[in-house]
Amino acid sequence: MDTFFQQLINGLTIGSIYALVALGYTMVYGVMRLINFAHGDMVAASAFVGLTIYTQVMGQSATLFSVIMIFLLAAVSMACVGVILERVAYRPLREAPRLSAVVSALGASLVIQNGIMLLWGPQMRIFPELVPQVYWEIGGVVVSLIQVIILILSLVLMVALYFFVEKTRMGAAIRASSIDQDAARLMGINVNTIIATIFIIGSSLGAIGGLFIGLYYRGITFNMGWQYGLFAFVAAILGGIGNIPGAMLGGMLLGLFNAFIAGYVSSTWSDAFTFILLIIILIVRPTGILGERVAEKV
Amino acid sequence: MKKVILPLLVALATCALSTQSFAETLKIGVQAPITGSYANEGQGIDNSVKLLAEQINAKGGVMGRQIEVFSCDDEGTAMKAAICAKDLVNKGVSMVIGSYTSTCAEAAQKTYFKAGVLQTSDGTADSLTEKGYWTFLRNSFPNSAEADYVADYMIGTKKYQRIVVISDFSSYATGLAEATVSAIKKAGGNVIAYEKVKADSQNFTPILTQIKSKKPDAIFFAGYYTDGGQLRAQQVALGIKADFIAGDANDNPDFAKLAGSAAQGAYIVNVPTPGMLPYDVAKDFLKSYETKFGMLPPSIWTLMNADGMRAIIHAMEQNKSFDTKKAVEYLQAMEPMPGITGPIAFAKDGNRIGSSYMTFEIQADDSYRVAHKQ
Repeated sequence: MDTFFQQLINGLTIGSIYALVALGYTMVYGVMRLINFAHGDMVAASAFVGLTIYTQVMGQSATLFSVIMIFLLAAVSMACVGVILERVAYRPLREAPRLSAVVSALGASLVIQNGIMLLWGPQMRIFPELVPQVYWEIGGVVVSLIQVIILILSLVLMVALYFFVEKTRMGAAIRASSIDQDAARLMGINVNTIIATIFIIGSSLGAIGGLFIGLYYRGITFNMGWQYGLFAFVAAILGGIGNIPGAMLGGMLLGLFNAFIAGYVSSTWSDAFTFILLIIILIVRPTGILGERVAEKV
Repeated sequence: MKKVILPLLVALATCALSTQSFAETLKIGVQAPITGSYANEGQGIDNSVKLLAEQINAKGGVMGRQIEVFSCDDEGTAMKAAICAKDLVNKGVSMVIGSYTSTCAEAAQKTYFKAGVLQTSDGTADSLTEKGYWTFLRNSFPNSAEADYVADYMIGTKKYQRIVVISDFSSYATGLAEATVSAIKKAGGNVIAYEKVKADSQNFTPILTQIKSKKPDAIFFAGYYTDGGQLRAQQVALGIKADFIAGDANDNPDFAKLAGSAAQGAYIVNVPTPGMLPYDVAKDFLKSYETKFGMLPPSIWTLMNADGMRAIIHAMEQNKSFDTKKAVEYLQAMEPMPGITGPIAFAKDGNRIGSSYMTFEIQADDSYRVAHKQ
C-alpha cells in the first residue's frame, strides 16, 4: 500500500508542474484559438533565466529571500518575453488564416530554443540545491520539502487564478473575450489588453513551472521545453482546452496516470499509454473532460 | 660573381625544399568527433596524436620517416565516420587513431579492413572485436571486462544479496547491463530486477518506487551520468537504502553536481582518471600535454588512444617494417609494453589484454576515494 501512496505523491508533484504549464496553453487557446507552441520553450527558458538570476543577481546566496527573488524576477522576465512574443509573432497574424499563426508559433518555438542554446550553451546546466533536501517518512511513504513546496504553491496559484477569472472585472473581460472578441470589443473591452494579460499570466505560471523543474530535477537542457510542453499540451487537451479548471485537472490526471503506468505496468511504455489515454478521451469526449462545446465561429 | 650565386642558392633551396616534401612520410589519420557533443573528447584525441607525432619527429621520426597527421572530424555520427574512413584511406594513411564512440569506430571498421589500414579505438562495445577484422585494435577494455569486474566487486567483495540493474536504451548501456547481469548470475549473485529507463526523462521516481518495494541492497546503473546523477538523487529522496554503483559513463563531474548532497557514498566504476596514473610514461606525457595545450587531457580515453598509437609505432620499429599486417602479428604476440594507461598487450581478436577497473566512492566534497582495486 505504501507503494501506491508513494506513486500518488510522485504523480501529484509532476502533475502540478504539468498543470501550471498547461494553464498557459489553455488560456491562450481560450481567447485566441491558437496553440502557443512556444510555451514549452518559454518554460525551459525560465529555468535558465532563474539559474542566471541566482548566479549573477543573487550572488549565489541560497537564502529564502533569494529563492523568492528568483521566482519573482524569473516570472517578471518571462512575462515580458510573453508580451513581446505576442506583439511580434501573433498580433500581426491575428486576422490571417489560422495555419499562418500556427507556423509562426512553431517558428517562435525554434527561435526561443536556439536562443537558449546560443546564450547558455548546448550542454546540460545544473541547478544548485536551493531547497534543502529534507524528507519526512510517514508509514513508508517519503515526502520531501521540495514536493510539498511544489504542491502547495501550485495549488495556491491555481486557486488564485480561478478566483481571478471568475470573480474580478478583469476576469469577466477575459471570459467575455474568449466567448466573442467582437462582441467584447463592442462592450468596451480592450481585447489587446486582455490578450497581453493572458500572455503575462500564462508565461509567469509557465515560468514558475520551469523553476520547479529546475529545483526538483536540477538538470536543465535547452531542448527540455519540447518534452514538458508536449505533456502539458496533452494535459490541456485532456481537461478540455480553453477550460481553466480543465487544465488543472488534466495536468494532475496526466501526472498520476504516468506515475501509475510507469510504476505498475512499465516505465518504457508510459509515454505510449499516455497517448492511448489521450486518444480514448478524445473519442469518448472530443472536447476533453471538462470542455464545453465550443461553437465554431462563422 | 654575386649575380650567379644568388640564383644558384635559390635553385638549391627550392630543390632542397621539394625533396623534403617528396620524402616518404609515415601518414597517420585521426578520426575523432572534433565538433559536436563529444567535442572535448575528440579534440583530446586529435591533440594527443599531434603531440606524439611532434615528439617522435623531434627524435628523428619512425625509422627515418617523419610522421604526417591527417585529422578528420566524424562529429560523433556514423554517417560522417564512414565518409572520414574513405577520405583517410584515400590519403594513404597506414593507421587511424580513433574514434571516440563505438558507433563511429564500427561504422568505419570495414573500410579500414578492406584497405589494410590499422585502426585503434577506445570504443568499448564488444561487437567491435567480434567481426574478425585483423586491422582493429582496441586500446581500451571492452564492456564485458567492466561487467566481470562489477560482478566480482558486487558479489565477491560487497556480498550483495538483492541486486537491481538499470540501463537506458542505448547500445552501450544495454550491452554493459546485459553483460553485467549475466556476469552476476555466473558469480552466483541474485539479480532481482533488470529495468530500462528512457534517457533524459528526468522523472525516475515511479520506477524507483517500484524498485523500493523489492527491497534491494544494491543498484547498478549502466547508463550515462546525466541520468545517473538524477537517479541517485531520486533514490536517496525516496529513502531507498541501497548502495548505488554506476558504470564508467558516470565518471563525470556533473554526476555529483546533479545528485547534490545525495552524491556522497555513491560508487563509480571506471579505469583510473588521468591524474591517478602512477606510471612515469603517463606523468611525462601529461606534463608535455599540459605545456603544449594549456590543459590536462579531457579523460582517460584520450590517453588510451595515444597508447594505441604508441603500440603500433613500437611494433613497426621492432619489425623494422611499415607493413601493417606484420605489425598486428607482432602486437598480438609481444610481451606487455609499458603504456601511459598501464601495460599494453593485445589478444588475437584485437582486444587489449587485462583491465584496470577501480571503484571510486564519492566523498562529501565530490572528490573520489578509491574504494576497491582489481
